[in-house]
Amino acid sequence: MPQGSQPLHLAAAPHLHGGSAVRRLMLHTVIALLPATLFGVALFGLAALATIGVAILACLLAERLCAPRSALGDGSALLTGLLLGLSLPPALPLWMAAVGGFVAILIGKHLFGGLGGPAFHPAMVGRVFLQAAFPAAMAQGWVAPFASGRATGLPASSLAAPFMSPAAGYDVFSGATPLAAARLGEGTAPLWDLWLGTVAGSSGETSAVLLLAGGLYLVAVRAADWRIPVAVLASVAALSGALHGFDPARFPGVLTALGSGSLMLGAWFLATDPGSSPMTRSGAWVYGLAIGALVVVIRQFSGQPEGVMYALLLGSALVPHIDRWTRPRPLGWRDSR
Amino acid sequence: MFRLRPAFSGGIVLPARAPRPGDASIRQLPFAPLLYLPLRQHAGRPAAAVLREGDEVARGQLLAAADGATSVPLHAPATGRIIGIVERADPAGGTVQVIQLEPFPGDTQEYPAGPARDPETAGAAGAAAIIDALRDAGVVGMGGEAQPAHARLAAACEQGMGMLVINGIEVEHVFSRVPAILRQHAADVLVGVRFLLAALGAAGQAARAVLAVEEQDGDAARSLVAAAPAGLPLALRVLSPRYPQGAELLLLRGLAKEGGLAPFGASPHRPHRQSHPGALCFNVATVAEIGRLLAHGQSVTDQVVTLAGGALREPGNYRVPLGTPLGFALAEAGLRAAPARVLEGGPMRGEALASLEKPITKGMTGFVALDRQEAGALEPPLPCIRCGECVAACPIQLHPAELGLLARKGELKAMHEEYHLDYCFECGCCAYVCPSHIPLVQVFRAAKAQWRRRQPAPVEEGA
Repeated sequence: MPQGSQPLHLAAAPHLHGGSAVRRLMLHTVIALLPATLFGVALFGLAALATIGVAILACLLAERLCAPRSALGDGSALLTGLLLGLSLPPALPLWMAAVGGFVAILIGKHLFGGLGGPAFHPAMVGRVFLQAAFPAAMAQGWVAPFASGRATGLPASSLAAPFMSPAAGYDVFSGATPLAAARLGEGTAPLWDLWLGTVAGSSGETSAVLLLAGGLYLVAVRAADWRIPVAVLASVAALSGALHGFDPARFPGVLTALGSGSLMLGAWFLATDPGSSPMTRSGAWVYGLAIGALVVVIRQFSGQPEGVMYALLLGSALVPHIDRWTRPRPLGWRDSR
Repeated sequence: MFRLRPAFSGGIVLPARAPRPGDASIRQLPFAPLLYLPLRQHAGRPAAAVLREGDEVARGQLLAAADGATSVPLHAPATGRIIGIVERADPAGGTVQVIQLEPFPGDTQEYPAGPARDPETAGAAGAAAIIDALRDAGVVGMGGEAQPAHARLAAACEQGMGMLVINGIEVEHVFSRVPAILRQHAADVLVGVRFLLAALGAAGQAARAVLAVEEQDGDAARSLVAAAPAGLPLALRVLSPRYPQGAELLLLRGLAKEGGLAPFGASPHRPHRQSHPGALCFNVATVAEIGRLLAHGQSVTDQVVTLAGGALREPGNYRVPLGTPLGFALAEAGLRAAPARVLEGGPMRGEALASLEKPITKGMTGFVALDRQEAGALEPPLPCIRCGECVAACPIQLHPAELGLLARKGELKAMHEEYHLDYCFECGCCAYVCPSHIPLVQVFRAAKAQWRRRQPAPVEEGA
């Protein structure tokens, strides 16, 4: 026999793999977020950079506390931290961003069993915790777009001592995000500004165009299911279009609804999180349509200016049911026997 | 000629086979010094030896007779002497007798043709004549399952099937038997089709045939069909490539959807096991063998297999005498140093072998000798991230992700009764697409085996 003394290697079929990997999915998502991240830093300056950086560091540190060092390599904690940072107001006290990161990973992720376990997006768990614990900071920590001095210094509120509110309040920017302004009856920003992102908002949510480009990249490299963002955006467009047609004075138009708030960030990058979205393709449609509808309902009929975060969390709560409703039937299966 | 899209959702598109010089040819392998002939080379009861140790045999002589209706005889692959009949472990379970045959060195090893047969004349004598001839020639299905061909034909005749599907789809994309057979054995395929149609026609209504191939083999198939004698009802279907549409259930469903077949309902239980959904299906390699052997009154003495993989200098298709040890065949195909892994079957469904002593028997499709680079490093599995890629890839719409999560909890009952694990035919699509590198097929096999052990008595299935 020619095989000599060298033992043959045994392994189970299949002996081929398509090349997809968790690490690859996470890194593609990070890459897709880079344009919007850089834009956010350019727009809001050091404040945004510090918020995002602290959120990421907190997530990585928390991940290291809960999981072996090798787990950092899958990139999921990095992505959670980045998404959390991008969804926070830039002038948020940095210690709060750190708390958000710890909550995201410790409670949002590892309490649910670590990678693959969370029923809700860990970044949204971290954010909703901050929203509940520090409502004032989360509602006022905005920075004016292209504020002078943004590249050289941090707003005083960012540097508030741990477990303290900023002594001087949030006087950096007296305005508000376009959605909050609309809620107060101050009218919305011009469409042009909304889509380009030259408005106040969370560090990475403002530029609809860059987020849309990143989302298309994600779909192109097959790192996200296109059905979910398409369903979310279609649902928002249809519902807000109907409301606008009903009362144009009270409800914003379709393009305003699509371009404002964290809708693009949520639809392309948060709703597509595999763990908190359905496993079936038909379920993806149901999930996306439900989230879109919830976004419009919360924005227009609740006390909150923005509803993407709550819509995502509520949508994820539906996922076990959606998965059950859309369970695939084996080929040739007939219910009537 | 129009393209037919796969009529099932899911599956995967595998990277196309890199063309090799030997793809369209079949090389004859010389005789090994010693041939090992297990008496079970088919699904069903083993054949019964009719000769004893020390007997001299001529090539093509009967070594072991068929034992019952689902059994086929075994013929001597070489002129030589039986030097032993020993009991060996059977891969299918239990033990099986193995005839050790030493070919006479220097013998010409000629295999004289028997009485010539003509399909139409044979058909005129009734389907039974062709069925008996198939059994006596020892033909088994060559798509991998090695079912006795005559038993399938007999069942099809009994049910009056009017359709013959010739499966020309290479399920494992690295194998190249189909293009070689379509080019080298086109005439044999056509004769085989005539024999099978004659049998179906003698049993019931006039039957017709469909040859199904994937695009890469479309040209070879077109010239084969063009060479068909006038009046032979042989149609061609060219499908866009998708794994695993060569699986019989999926292929027949596809053709049924397209309208070539009467619609068939799979039974809710184990639909993939249903072998007679309105059509008789044979691999193109089987049809070629039927045509070649029946026309010349010969019996199966060798098997065409693809030997592939980076550890071979001369990969390609080989006509291998039955009983040739795999190690000998691989050495003849230019095995470089030591292969990292050797698979019986292809990369998607093949079994990794622990030794190269296994003899090549009827019905085998091919082997892959992977070099170190192809075998790759084993990725450590991560937890399931519930992405649902496997759900989309499963060609029979199971829920691999949920099954994998249930397996971790040992929920064998739910896996089988709620999520129908017994439908799974282990095509490997789920594990292929899994970003967490979870060995789902391995998990499912273990679960199936555990579940079977837990059942009070094996459920007897209707034929």
